[in-house]
Amino acid sequence: MPVGPVETYESVEKWAERLRKQWGGDPLAEEPDKLETLAAFCEFIGKDPDELVAFCFLRRRETGERFGSVKRREEVAERLRAFRKERGVSGLAARKLTSDVLSFLIHSGVLINPGMV
Amino acid sequence: MQFKEVLGARRSIRYFDTDRPVEREKIQKILEAMRIASCAVNAHWLRAVVVNRADIPEETMQALKTPVSGLVQELAPVHIYCYLDPGIVTRIQGKRLKELVDVGALNPSHGWSHAFVDDFVYPQILEPMTKAPGYPISAAFDCGGAGTQGLLTAVDEGLGVCWTAFNPSAAKQLLEIPDDWIPLYVLNVGYPLESPEAGGQRPRPAFEELYFEGKVGSPYPRDPKVVEEIQREKMITAPAPQPGRLEEVRELARKLGLPE
Repeated sequence: MPVGPVETYESVEKWAERLRKQWGGDPLAEEPDKLETLAAFCEFIGKDPDELVAFCFLRRRETGERFGSVKRREEVAERLRAFRKERGVSGLAARKLTSDVLSFLIHSGVLINPGMV
Repeated sequence: MQFKEVLGARRSIRYFDTDRPVEREKIQKILEAMRIASCAVNAHWLRAVVVNRADIPEETMQALKTPVSGLVQELAPVHIYCYLDPGIVTRIQGKRLKELVDVGALNPSHGWSHAFVDDFVYPQILEPMTKAPGYPISAAFDCGGAGTQGLLTAVDEGLGVCWTAFNPSAAKQLLEIPDDWIPLYVLNVGYPLESPEAGGQRPRPAFEELYFEGKVGSPYPRDPKVVEEIQREKMITAPAPQPGRLEEVRELARKLGLPE
């Protein structure tokens, strides 16, 4: 499924806002490769950015309360590893490749420690 | 460093130099400091297992990490896994208390003798204590004190340290931990990749919120002259965030390929 321009998604707008607050300036505008990496990963997994964030959370049947799913977080981590493998990178280069996707997920409240990926 | 300066210099370091090994003698000093800590009934519940990060098989390393602190474990060249050995009290049955009597630490002036330990303290206090629900909490308090002595010694040796949780089942298998030991924390050790100040002394709750005089709700008065004195002694240092911290963190993230 083509994802299209990722910057139009609500979750990416929030990411942009949170990066501006964290670092000052406008990191996504200054470094457009961040969006390119996110778009490439979204294409790779066949989910748009909003779907990717939503996928990482579930709701409790009884209360409707939203919670971070460990199983789904592990699934995303596995897909990030596969993304690196597909790009043929390892070590530091692999970390750098996925650091922007992790930044997007972390600023979206997903529990995904870089040490686990 | 002077003692108070060590307290003021301590930070939880989360960026380690993965290429710089930690000298064995420094690790030994950390353990030596743990061993001489104050401990109730001289029991010494703390057990520690030192592991070099490089010696941990990759698959095991992944399993040892927790979802929140995995990166710290990944980056720290040395891990000191800390456990509580709850069986120690019933194994030694007051023996170490009697050692304190023998060396003049516990004396008749305060009600202590070998017979007091054998006939009263062990059977009526210590042995029942091990069956009380609060026992592991009390023992963990002592382990925390011992661990802190090790941590501060590491700081004095120029090392960076950070306590984190770990996955106990993976560690049990790797380290061959006895069934009854209680997992506590892992002390992650290495040379800091970040500046030792790490952006300044981290925010803490107000003094008056934590400490009281006479009764709860009556804050212990904080004398500004004392604060000035310990500032001069470098126990209280410049508060976080210090200028340049944001840039430092961003540079570290880029160097290590971490998210921003």
